[in-house]
Amino acid sequence: MSQAEHHIVPIKTLTAVIAVLGVLTIVTVAAAQFDLGSFNVPIALLIATIKASFVISIFMGLKYGNKTNALILAVGLIMVVVFVTFILLDTEFRGDTSATESGTIMQSEQTMPAAESH
Amino acid sequence: MASHPLDGHPAHLEHHFVSSEQQFDAAKMGMWLFLITEILLFSGMFVLYTVYRSWHPEVFALVSEVLDWRMGGFNTLVLLASSFTVALGIHYAQKNDNRKLIINLVLTLIFALIFLVVKYFEYTGKFAHGIYPGAAFDPHGIVDGLDYAKYNVPYAAQFFSIYFVMTGIHAFHVIVGIGVFIWITLRASRGEFSAAYYTPVELTGLYWHLVDIIWIFLFPLLYLI
Repeated sequence: MSQAEHHIVPIKTLTAVIAVLGVLTIVTVAAAQFDLGSFNVPIALLIATIKASFVISIFMGLKYGNKTNALILAVGLIMVVVFVTFILLDTEFRGDTSATESGTIMQSEQTMPAAESH
Repeated sequence: MASHPLDGHPAHLEHHFVSSEQQFDAAKMGMWLFLITEILLFSGMFVLYTVYRSWHPEVFALVSEVLDWRMGGFNTLVLLASSFTVALGIHYAQKNDNRKLIINLVLTLIFALIFLVVKYFEYTGKFAHGIYPGAAFDPHGIVDGLDYAKYNVPYAAQFFSIYFVMTGIHAFHVIVGIGVFIWITLRASRGEFSAAYYTPVELTGLYWHLVDIIWIFLFPLLYLI
């Protein structure tokens, strides 16, 4: 009847996780001081995702508890991916399918400086 | 532990659950479902950010330097520390150490307040130079030899609208969290939690970690790149 059988995360583990999170915060700030071109965003997102994974698995205990909650999270994250992907399918290629000129709408707008996009 | 007056089961156990374990798992699953709705709420704003950034990457790269990474970075460490103290609090609740549970809850509250104080100085610092969300956006003034007027470019206003809305809704979650933590701390000080029953601490902790995770993504996206 008691919750005593719940997994108790050792203080050593919690301390190790907060240390890693602190170091990764410094790493993301350091990485941002260099202009890595098109890698700026992916690297920042990668570090943030690693940090979030530590918080979710250890602090929130998803690694230890009922796997149903991990499934709920996974379904939620899949929905976020669907959300982002389908919005970008619109905004990145808006109007391209009905264009009568060759090239993308973005390209034809660049040849007409007066045109204000979006 | 206090027993129910009629049939002798633990006072915290509702009649419709078979066991404390089942009640705990059900509550936790309910919390995870709520957290998914929170993730979807913020993902709408992350999508907005993604679309505007992909349309105007050079504007976002330029104007994000207005945001002070030292303040944002400090607040990141403060929120991470508060997540750590919440996790410690649950650890001590599971070990029936009520005194250390309360100490960690109070520490969490202090970190949350520090976060808001830093946010207050960030917001007022921006307002002082005409950096407002929406149509009122009018950057001006010189700070450390940097003329804010150079940020008065098309789509800079969109960046700052996104910044204020995302960090504002996040800060609202921090304020709600503070309210809940005050309540949880009061209940802990009345000795309501133990290894046998700490569900409210666990659920509040889950909420707080999510607030932390949202900031883990907001910080680099808004302040750094």
